[in-house]
Amino acid sequence: MTPALSISHLRKVYRRGTVGIEDLSLEVAPGDFFGFLGPNGAGKTTAIHCITGIANPTAGRIEVFGVDAVGHYRDARRLIGLSPQEFNVDSFANARDIVDWMGGYFGMTAAQRRLRVDMLLEKFDLVSHDRKRFRELSGGLKRRVMLARAMINDPALLILDEPTAGVDVELRRDLWRYLQELNADGKTIFLTSHYLEEVERLCRNIAIIAGGRIVRQGPTEEFVREPGGLEAAYLRATALEAHRVSAPAQ
Amino acid sequence: MSTKSPLVNWIGLWTIVRREWSRLMRVPIQAFLAPWISALLFIFIFGFVVGSRISHIGGHRYLEFVLPGILMMNIVNAAFLQSSSQVYFSRFLRYVEEALVAPLSYAEMIAGVIAVVIARSVITALGILAIAAVFGATSIDGVAEFVFWIVSVAMVFGLLGIVIGLWANNFEQLTILNIFFITPLSFVGGVFNTLSMLPPWLRWLAYANPFFYFINGIRHAMIGFSEAPQALGIAVALVLAAGMSIVVWRLYAIGYGLRE
Repeated sequence: MTPALSISHLRKVYRRGTVGIEDLSLEVAPGDFFGFLGPNGAGKTTAIHCITGIANPTAGRIEVFGVDAVGHYRDARRLIGLSPQEFNVDSFANARDIVDWMGGYFGMTAAQRRLRVDMLLEKFDLVSHDRKRFRELSGGLKRRVMLARAMINDPALLILDEPTAGVDVELRRDLWRYLQELNADGKTIFLTSHYLEEVERLCRNIAIIAGGRIVRQGPTEEFVREPGGLEAAYLRATALEAHRVSAPAQ
Repeated sequence: MSTKSPLVNWIGLWTIVRREWSRLMRVPIQAFLAPWISALLFIFIFGFVVGSRISHIGGHRYLEFVLPGILMMNIVNAAFLQSSSQVYFSRFLRYVEEALVAPLSYAEMIAGVIAVVIARSVITALGILAIAAVFGATSIDGVAEFVFWIVSVAMVFGLLGIVIGLWANNFEQLTILNIFFITPLSFVGGVFNTLSMLPPWLRWLAYANPFFYFINGIRHAMIGFSEAPQALGIAVALVLAAGMSIVVWRLYAIGYGLRE
């Protein structure tokens, strides 16, 4: 079966020579709920930027449902929805326009957009805020707008980069429920998060990245069954990588 | 939704236009009223007050002679400011990423910017023509030629504005080209004088200055007065537009200033 996401030997070196990703390979099966974990600066967001076209990969291959994300980027983009870690919006625009414009970029007609935008604004409890400028919204509402925008094209692969950072408990739980529904409907979800409880609850498979490479990958149950659970397994995996990097070459 | 992208994402392209138009409409005074007031002052002082003391040039009143240059200066400014600010602010606020993650080709992204540039330039030009009409100075000899000059010059400076918008990392850099290149060259490009008024040693500068051909071209379209072959001016405009298009397309393709 064609993977929803296939990354092979991805390497990203920034213009000033900083290595963002050393050598990253992973596969995400269709319909999976995949957790992508790692400490700050490990390369999670860089990898997401390479997948979605915000960054140019230096080397390697990325395929989304078998479509080359660099060579056939337009076809690949149609399959992806991204909720980024940072708010990358025109903060003077209102919530409705932000979501609607994204639908337009994806080639949706006015009628298709109207239906979809209304549905998403309702789903994320944004109806009473839809004419407010983005900069006037609270942090939680801003995060909801990001999620609604990511969902506008009904993507087969939903990439969520720390979607619950800074949101209250109620929204976090609502969001978990919504993401589980989406996943049950067959959507593939690729999630990064620093909340291990969230990852443990939602994800079926996990990959841990540290120092720009995958240091451990496997089913969530495998991590959870270890002494100390997911948190201990995560700390062991990232500490091993930190030790490898700091140890002198033999 | 089909996973195969259409040859041209027309709705996406139109979305770039309507989105930028909505941004532009947040600052209508800055976008339209400012150049109209500036043109009104130029027309009144240089054309009407000073011009009444200057003899006819090529059989035309001085006001009629300077109007095409004033018009061209404002088109150049409108085009450059529009695209440079559109691209720069989308980078600065990072909402350019919305377009980058969408199924939009580089050509569509560039065409969307240029469409708004042309719309803003045309509206600016129509306003100035209306102001000039009050002073009895609006005349257009060749409509097609007039449209060609507005669109081609707007394109050239719109594309140049994109390059600066991609390059600039702060507001000062965004204005550098306007201060040191566009404004001086437009003033010495024959807005207020004919070539014969310049000292001979300075005329070569006019021939090497693309603004001279643009102003000369639109002046020919409006009042039929010309100091250089029209074909040469048209060739300069087309070569610059084509050259700049290739440069901008290449910058988008490599992600210069856009992608990490």
